[in-house]
Amino acid sequence: MYKLLKNIEGDVKSVLRIADSACVPFDPANIDYQQYLAWLAEGNTPLPAE
Amino acid sequence: MTITLDGTTGITTPTTSTTGEFVTSVTSFKNRIINGAMVFDQRNVGASVTISSDNTKTLDRWNSRCESSLFNSYSVQQSSTATTGFVNSLLVTSLSTASIGATAFASQEQRIEGLNMTDFGWGSASAVPITVSFWVRSSLTGTFGGYIQNSAQNRAYVFTYTISAANTWEQKSITIAGDTTGTWLTTNGIGLRVGWNLGTGTTFSGTAGSWGSTNYYSATGSINLLATNGATFYITGVQLEKGSTATSFDYRSIGAELVMCQRYYETTSYPSASQGLDTTQLSIIWNANFSSGQKYLVAKRAAPTVTLYGRTNVAGAPSRTDTGAAITGTSTASSVNSIGFLSVSLGQTLTAYSTFALEVGYTAASEL
Repeated sequence: MYKLLKNIEGDVKSVLRIADSACVPFDPANIDYQQYLAWLAEGNTPLPAE
Repeated sequence: MTITLDGTTGITTPTTSTTGEFVTSVTSFKNRIINGAMVFDQRNVGASVTISSDNTKTLDRWNSRCESSLFNSYSVQQSSTATTGFVNSLLVTSLSTASIGATAFASQEQRIEGLNMTDFGWGSASAVPITVSFWVRSSLTGTFGGYIQNSAQNRAYVFTYTISAANTWEQKSITIAGDTTGTWLTTNGIGLRVGWNLGTGTTFSGTAGSWGSTNYYSATGSINLLATNGATFYITGVQLEKGSTATSFDYRSIGAELVMCQRYYETTSYPSASQGLDTTQLSIIWNANFSSGQKYLVAKRAAPTVTLYGRTNVAGAPSRTDTGAAITGTSTASSVNSIGFLSVSLGQTLTAYSTFALEVGYTAASEL
């Protein structure tokens, strides 16, 4: 499960991986981001940013 | 010591010394394997890890491939059992008598960044050969297997090596012709994967000694360590270099090797396994739920996944310096890029005009 994160400027450029409280940045070369994209492709939806 | 310079072979120096001179490699970064001597284990600091998911990172730069049917069938640990010239090895222990199904696979591998093999010329007519050398010791004897694969896992070369005596260190080397076809990345992605088989079924096994458009992990008929409960496999002194000859292990300075590891992973806790007081001090901006930011010790391969800690070693919970209390909620790094993060987004809402320092430990992971 993931939750979108806003940065200090209010932009969503990373996601919280809830299982281990890790911040995963939206970088195509990051393997955790690649896993997030695969999770989205399975039809899942992240929790909205606060 | 004699150094020779001529127009044909360039600069030549001895590879060994018997008179105590300082001898080093002529070319830097001869060995494209990082942490080939298994001296760094930032994540686990020597603790044993039972592999329960695919792509588990163990010792620095080392990756455990594991198909789901083989979950929990082996452990990986940094060991102080080593051969002469080394002080550590990577130890694999089989935890059961696993049945290796046709589609099963398990291996220890290292993924070499494409930017670190731009001179290989792979995928073209100018592809150069490489030589993989390593020291290995196992409770089992016989023919073992391993592999080279590209990033997309649609090109593979399977190799074999023989362990002749049980529980005895033996050095092996395998020379592999460069692949003249296929796609081999020269970016910050995976350039190549080099791995040692632990347990692979027939679907992912093939004939050794040639390139193919496959995703094989081992050679048909080679030993599957995980089929023997309690079997052990140690490896160290791993080197992958250009050329058709295995040369002496490229001993880099311990500091340089750590920096090379930290391009892919760093933690403020090292050399401890747990975060604690040895953390970064960040200041809080008043009346806002963001703190100042932090630059990593070493720039990363790509923007890393960042997890924050405090005195309690709980993920997402940095501490206040003034009270020692953990910030409630889940705090996260904000505006993360490859050199640092701009700020910390606090998990709790502060009252107006809050001023204190934040104790933040972190891990930053940018593995391949």
